[in-house]
Amino acid sequence: MKVEVRRDGPSLVEGYRAVVGDGPMRMLESLARRLRDHRIVMVNSTATGGGVAEILHRLVRLLEELGVPTTWEVMPGDAAFYAITKKIHNALHGTHAPLDADDHAHYHETNRRAASLLELDGDLVLIHDPQPAALVQHRRVPGQRWVWRCHIDLSHADRDVWGFLAPVLTGYDGAVFSHYSFVPPLEVPAFLVPPSIDPLSDKNRELDEAEIDRLLEPYDLPESTPWVTQISRFDRLKDPVGVIDAFRLARSRVKAHLVLAGGSADDDPEGAEVLAEVRQHVAESKDVSVLVLPSDAHLVINALQRRSADVVQKSLREGFALTVSEALWKRRPVVASAVGGIPLQVIHERTGLLVHSVEGCAVQISRLLRTPELARRLATEGREHVRDNFLHTREARDYLAVFAALDGAARIMAEERAAQA
Amino acid sequence: MNGAPSAFEVCGAVHLIRPLGMSANSLQSLRHGIAAVEPASLFFHAVQPPLRAPASADLPPDDFSAWIGGVLQDHETSERLSFAVQRSGPGPEPLRTALIGVLERSQRDHTVPEDAAFAFLAADTVPVPIVECDDLDTLFDALAGADASAWFYHLIEQPWFAGGRIEMTLALREAGAARLADRIDQLAASGIPLERLRRETLRTWRRSQLGSRMARAAASSDADRAGEGRDAIAKLARRIVRARSTS
Repeated sequence: MKVEVRRDGPSLVEGYRAVVGDGPMRMLESLARRLRDHRIVMVNSTATGGGVAEILHRLVRLLEELGVPTTWEVMPGDAAFYAITKKIHNALHGTHAPLDADDHAHYHETNRRAASLLELDGDLVLIHDPQPAALVQHRRVPGQRWVWRCHIDLSHADRDVWGFLAPVLTGYDGAVFSHYSFVPPLEVPAFLVPPSIDPLSDKNRELDEAEIDRLLEPYDLPESTPWVTQISRFDRLKDPVGVIDAFRLARSRVKAHLVLAGGSADDDPEGAEVLAEVRQHVAESKDVSVLVLPSDAHLVINALQRRSADVVQKSLREGFALTVSEALWKRRPVVASAVGGIPLQVIHERTGLLVHSVEGCAVQISRLLRTPELARRLATEGREHVRDNFLHTREARDYLAVFAALDGAARIMAEERAAQA
Repeated sequence: MNGAPSAFEVCGAVHLIRPLGMSANSLQSLRHGIAAVEPASLFFHAVQPPLRAPASADLPPDDFSAWIGGVLQDHETSERLSFAVQRSGPGPEPLRTALIGVLERSQRDHTVPEDAAFAFLAADTVPVPIVECDDLDTLFDALAGADASAWFYHLIEQPWFAGGRIEMTLALREAGAARLADRIDQLAASGIPLERLRRETLRTWRRSQLGSRMARAAASSDADRAGEGRDAIAKLARRIVRARSTS
């Protein structure tokens, strides 16, 4: 089904130009000019909820404004199909969730039916994640370029489920992953396109002090003590207990208040368990606040990050951890674990501080609180690093470049260089 | 361009990063990897880092020495490798030889776990033509408005793959601007961060134009000079507004 993207309100191109500057937007416009005679179709499995839908709403409109005809189709499916794709999703994340022959058949049948319903008539087709991946087997026509965009960390993928999906991917011209560690052995060219944040969204847009005061008023947080904040769901892999331990070690040397804020755990039994552990670990501590926020509390998260003295992301394992870019974008100094995509965002001692242990985290938290000049320098560099590398404009540019490369641009350049050599 | 036989095309560049499926977990395996990888990988790890932080006051380290220093904690080899990256001649093969030379001399060889290994990646360049320039004014106007990738592409990347020959300064020489070309060659070879390279190059260009601008101004009417003054103030105001809105 075609998704109608909102086109009202101010121009996205001009909004992004005000944020990233003229040079990068001219570059994006030049690249877009090259693809104006093409038509892009994006396909995923939902129009609302989740990071992929969020970025597609922006990306489709941005590409249209840039003059590249772009449409967005959502793959239809029944409850059984979504149960199967949930299993696939979990298995690709490393959970054992075997698929049986019926699951295989239903997955392919749903893709086959969807292939006859969706308008996949563009010459550049970008398929997001595993749900619609098999469309390529049913609808690809000569002259089209198909690219699979995987937003999932496949580094611990279940072998059987990956064995089911991998043959489908041979029908593509290329695949795009967020991080090199997520890339499995593939028969098609793989490219790396890191995810990005939207500087114009509620989670990241500028807020004035009065707005921040109003948003944070209900949470009764201390005004005179610097806050050390970790924003992430209550999950053991985010190590909230480790954050509390590190904070307590740091707190013995500097005055501070810890804010642990995360999404509601109502539909996640393990999340509720971890939240209970965190609350027990915090016990009666007056210098720690645990905030359970609704899933749409984007402005509150924005305000919390902006008011924090340090932002921490002490995960034990991570996908990409865009919360780090969100904090850096708000000029907050960041202390984060060197896992997953974090080292791409936090360059140690340049855009933030990387740590490997509770003690290391404690040392760096207190170091930042005691050395405002260091915090300022890291925060300034961090903001520029995000501006250059982790905003939606860069992700849009990279997708256009992938299509241009498949269209021959990179091959021609490589041949020219080989001739020069 | 100003009498030159052909126009010069200002291009930006997008680097598409490709994983090569190879990794190294010791100095020895890093050396073997460097010996085997394609030029686009050496380019990505050793030459491209300045483009990742163009406005930084200090150049970011190359990926090889950053990994050896940060992960293997072999600071001596890291320093030597960093020096080799900065001093090796242009092109993948001189760099490859220099890197292997440093790694062969290194005595230490401990291994790190797989999750701390060095992953070899490669960068494929997608050139993005921005504007074709027939004269120096248009060229420097285009460069002034271009993003960091255009500066990187013309002054660092293209010469690195072409044995040090900078096509942009060749075009400047053909256009009769040999002194300007010499100065830009020097700046490009100095290894300064990109934003500084851009500032210094544009300053050099503006200075090179002072004489002819003054001659033009002396010959023009009061009304024209006043008009130019107003234009200059308006341009400055726009730059200030733009700088504020992007900060």
